[in-house]
Amino acid sequence: MNQEPIKELLYKMADDLLILGHRNSEWTGLGPLLEEDIAFSSMAQDKIGQSFALFQMLTALGEQTPDTVAFMRPANKFHNCQLVELPNGEYDFSLIRHFLFDTADALRWEMLTESSYEPLSLLAKKIKGELRYHTLHANTWVKQLGTATEESISRLQKSLEGAMPYALGIFEESPLESELISEGIFTGEQSLKMKWQAKVEEVISTTQLHLPEWKILAPCLGGRLGQHSEHLQPLLDEMSEVFRIDPGAEW
Amino acid sequence: MDEILKTLDPRVSRLPKIGQTNPKKQLDQFGTFEVFVQGKAEKPFQHEGAVHAPNLELAYVLAKETFTRRFTCYSIYVVETRNVFVSPTTEGNQDVFDLISNEPAVSEKKTFEVYHLVKRGKQHVHAGSVEAGSPNEAMLKAKELVETDKIVYNLWAIEKNKIRFTSEEENDLWNTLPEKKFRDASDYKGGDKLKRFLEGNKN
Repeated sequence: MNQEPIKELLYKMADDLLILGHRNSEWTGLGPLLEEDIAFSSMAQDKIGQSFALFQMLTALGEQTPDTVAFMRPANKFHNCQLVELPNGEYDFSLIRHFLFDTADALRWEMLTESSYEPLSLLAKKIKGELRYHTLHANTWVKQLGTATEESISRLQKSLEGAMPYALGIFEESPLESELISEGIFTGEQSLKMKWQAKVEEVISTTQLHLPEWKILAPCLGGRLGQHSEHLQPLLDEMSEVFRIDPGAEW
Repeated sequence: MDEILKTLDPRVSRLPKIGQTNPKKQLDQFGTFEVFVQGKAEKPFQHEGAVHAPNLELAYVLAKETFTRRFTCYSIYVVETRNVFVSPTTEGNQDVFDLISNEPAVSEKKTFEVYHLVKRGKQHVHAGSVEAGSPNEAMLKAKELVETDKIVYNLWAIEKNKIRFTSEEENDLWNTLPEKKFRDASDYKGGDKLKRFLEGNKN
């Protein structure tokens, strides 16, 4: 099996999860409700854990250790989509991002349960329950706040419109996309995007929110190629600050 | 310091400033829901605590991380606090069944989950399910579920159709939980590390 397409896929998934996990963890202690603070923090931990498992796969394929790749790369070597690096803003934005990203993430892992790359299909089966919880959490909040009060509906609507072009950047194709598909590693971003749109429409249709027209949306691309907003490097600096003081420290 | 105190938690941010007294507004917080946890498949459910939530489904979602983010879990369920009917609590060695009235129930039979308190200061534990026409009748019938030598101090009766259960396919929610040892302080073996550090400094 050709390793380059696999590595590319693993890097972008791991980077998405690491960066979003870190972003979401910034809410710890500041969440809008004690119970929600705990739930959101737990899911952030899950994401870091999933990224760790993917970085370990990369190590097995000859890449550097998880800590090194997580903490020592500059922003332009990260393959995450730009959606996950955006600042948290108000909680409505964080929640909408969580909904849009985790819907795609859960569908991606579901597709990967059939992957010809066995470490990935095994991991996909293992974390099914975590993904079930993440999407249950996101869908339940979106349904509640998307039907609750004028303020909650208008806040979610505004965040939805702001996040959507970035969310479409999740599905930026890899230059090695056709090899991923032909080797049965992953069925591809286009196929994922179609499933994602259907699922997003299904959940949003139970609320008073409106989706922007898919056709007129211009996706924010470039993240998969290392082109990022000004928000990523400060996040990386903060995330790796302690590690860089003493890379050999034992925890 | 000021930064740290800027929390969005309404229970903190609504606290009055020192010296200021605000009358409590009606319904300024979410309602509460009771959470019942089954740690292992062969163990009974027991009451763990309450969560605040705007509805039953969100209560389920929030209960899962509030009460089952460590160790093991097989299943949970939640019910709105107002749907938990509570018997009087006895004093000393009095049995709760002596305090439950014998009035007959007139409405149609429903299934109730009954919880009992057999050790003071511990949680209410699931005693079993009964068919009854009222919470009171459910508590009376619960006598058959309890071992005769046990004194029961308090009973709860919950109508089954008011409960948000974990569905069979949702049992995988806790699959990876035993691996999340990083949530236990003991996993960091701080004592061992300190000991090694101090011994290293001696030499």
